[in-house]
Amino acid sequence: MRWTRRRLGITLLGVMGIAIAAVPFLTDDRYLLKVLTFVGVNAIVVAGLALLFGYAGQISLGHAAFFGLGAYMSAYLTTTHQTPWLLAVLAGTGIAAAGGLLLALPSLRLKGHYLAMATLGFNEIMSVLFVELRGITGGNNGLSGIPFPSIGSFVIDTPAGIYLLVWGVAALAFLGAANLVRTRPGRAMRALHGSELGAVASGVDTTRLKVQVFALSAALAGLAGALYAHAVGFISPTQFSLEFSILLVAMVVVGGTGSLVGPFFAAVVLTLLQYVHALIPGLGNDVASVIQDWEVDISGMVMILTVIFLPGGFAALVRRKRIGVAVDGETV
Amino acid sequence: MTGKWLQRMLPATVVLTLVVASLAGCSQADSSSDEGGEETAKEPYTIGAVLSLSGTYAGLGEPEKNTIEMELERINEDGGVNGHPVKVVIEDDATDPAKAQAATVRLIEQVDVLAIIGATGTGQTMGMRGDIDRAGIPQVSVAGGTVVTAQFDPLVFQTPWSNSLVVPFTLSRLRDAGITKIALMYDTGGFGADGGDVVKATVGEYGISVVAEQTFNPGDTDMTAQLTMVKGSDAEAVVLWNAGKESAIVAKNMQQLSMMLPLYGCHGNARAEFAEGAGDAAEGFRFAAGKILLPETYGTDSMSYRVATDFVERYTERYGKAPDTFAGHAYDALYLIVEAMRRLPEGFTTAELRDEIERTDDFVGIGGIFTFTESDHNGMSEDDLVMYRIQDGAWVLDTP
Repeated sequence: MRWTRRRLGITLLGVMGIAIAAVPFLTDDRYLLKVLTFVGVNAIVVAGLALLFGYAGQISLGHAAFFGLGAYMSAYLTTTHQTPWLLAVLAGTGIAAAGGLLLALPSLRLKGHYLAMATLGFNEIMSVLFVELRGITGGNNGLSGIPFPSIGSFVIDTPAGIYLLVWGVAALAFLGAANLVRTRPGRAMRALHGSELGAVASGVDTTRLKVQVFALSAALAGLAGALYAHAVGFISPTQFSLEFSILLVAMVVVGGTGSLVGPFFAAVVLTLLQYVHALIPGLGNDVASVIQDWEVDISGMVMILTVIFLPGGFAALVRRKRIGVAVDGETV
Repeated sequence: MTGKWLQRMLPATVVLTLVVASLAGCSQADSSSDEGGEETAKEPYTIGAVLSLSGTYAGLGEPEKNTIEMELERINEDGGVNGHPVKVVIEDDATDPAKAQAATVRLIEQVDVLAIIGATGTGQTMGMRGDIDRAGIPQVSVAGGTVVTAQFDPLVFQTPWSNSLVVPFTLSRLRDAGITKIALMYDTGGFGADGGDVVKATVGEYGISVVAEQTFNPGDTDMTAQLTMVKGSDAEAVVLWNAGKESAIVAKNMQQLSMMLPLYGCHGNARAEFAEGAGDAAEGFRFAAGKILLPETYGTDSMSYRVATDFVERYTERYGKAPDTFAGHAYDALYLIVEAMRRLPEGFTTAELRDEIERTDDFVGIGGIFTFTESDHNGMSEDDLVMYRIQDGAWVLDTP
């Protein structure tokens, strides 16, 4: 029984992977491809955030800032210093990881609301820096003319190419994360989530673990940011605001704790929400703009409803339904 | 058991209902928007417009949108462009360069437009440039920053008087008023920073020096700190370069600090919202702008006067208030494109459309009379400007 379910899961994942990879060959709608590229970018951030929040139980309201750090670093290096793309993306990932490490060292002594406040503060500080460090970031007017991804003379300049690149990275991020949660650090993370004291008693170095997970998720956010910068070619501070941080957390909360698949689907749905007009071609402009205006409110409301009625997120709903009898038999 | 199940299913149901409701809304809106009689055999020419309908430039984007919608009806009643109806797809950029860029991508990749009007703001206009260049689509911006045409791009045209015209005009008026020391305030967004740069670069030519320089960010809600610094300087006038809601706050804060210095704004303030927002703090506020606010300044026997009064009449009748300069910028942008299309043969390309817009010669618009050249994509002159002063909540001509 368990074996077949596992096989079913793998088959479903395979089908999904093939479907995602096939998209560029099925459509020539360049805009749709760009939108789906953004979905892939957000999915990379969510992979890291699902580890941090969904598995280790540590909240971050500052992931948009790490995303921005990666984006600005890579954009600045490639536009001003003509750094090769791959190096610039690595630098973007690196600076985000370093930022995550630096923030984690003092802040992860904090718990719950206090940690949320500290990361929120970090996001605000970075937002101010993105605007004020005009020499590097271009201030409010942003940085434009960011080159396409390229390795040597090979330039990925088609929407389909960038789509495949981003989704390739996203697939690696999810496979890596899935692997991680099934091994010793993953179990330690879950123990930490369940009870920090219990985890310590079981021999888990919780401080070290928390810092590691935080830096890893910041690095993934930075990587996604760097990829994003080269995919759009233009970045400005508003893209890395607290609003985006909250949207990212909403994806993980709605998707479900202790799950990677749940947050992935939540990332897909909540990202597409702002691009409804890309998916439904004949959609009236007014409707699209109403949905866009209410986007933050919709994701906020969905998050509140999830927390109230479905604390484990949608992943928990699926999980409980699957093994529903056993769980209910025990608890009721 | 059932109760629990219900509790679990509730959020899912709520979300589903939301999605279904929005989809239903879409299909309804969709059917209503397509009712515009598609009897003309020729396919429509589609133009995109990226305007700030929300955010700090919402007060600019709204008249621009109104104008485009009104003039579009008129153009299509007159048979469109050589029988082709004209369609304009308007996108809101929320006064955000990133959203302007995203909207541009959509207009190019999904809507497949022939030309783009906008953006409303300078920062937004510049954010769009990369994608405009990649697609090779002509853009007629309605933003007033100098960079729009000074950082020259063969594809980009501009209908408002750029800062490089308005700044010298304003500075010469300051000189004539005997002012030699000014405090300069501007926002760090595209238009304000651009104006600030031009003021600092040219101020010496007018024997004026900047004795205090203060900036604020778009969206800021209090400028008391900056104005206190200004108050401590020996400035004889304050020059404010900003097109957003922040201008009214500066005027109000000055009043609260009992600063009696004359305040000079710019063409970004040429709208009723400013006077209303600042209330009696706006009294005596001076700004340079085009002649549309008082059409008789065109000269009552001129072609410009007839074009402008006709536009003012139709706009006022339809929207219940007189158009401001921003409505005029959108009018000019739309007709610059449409007139160029009319001069072209069937099946023109976007490159040919760009060339034809560049050939615009003596087009009588609202902002002035446009003549583009290979190196001048603004096409305006200082003669198209006059100085206004706000008196009893309305603008009057400020004669030197």
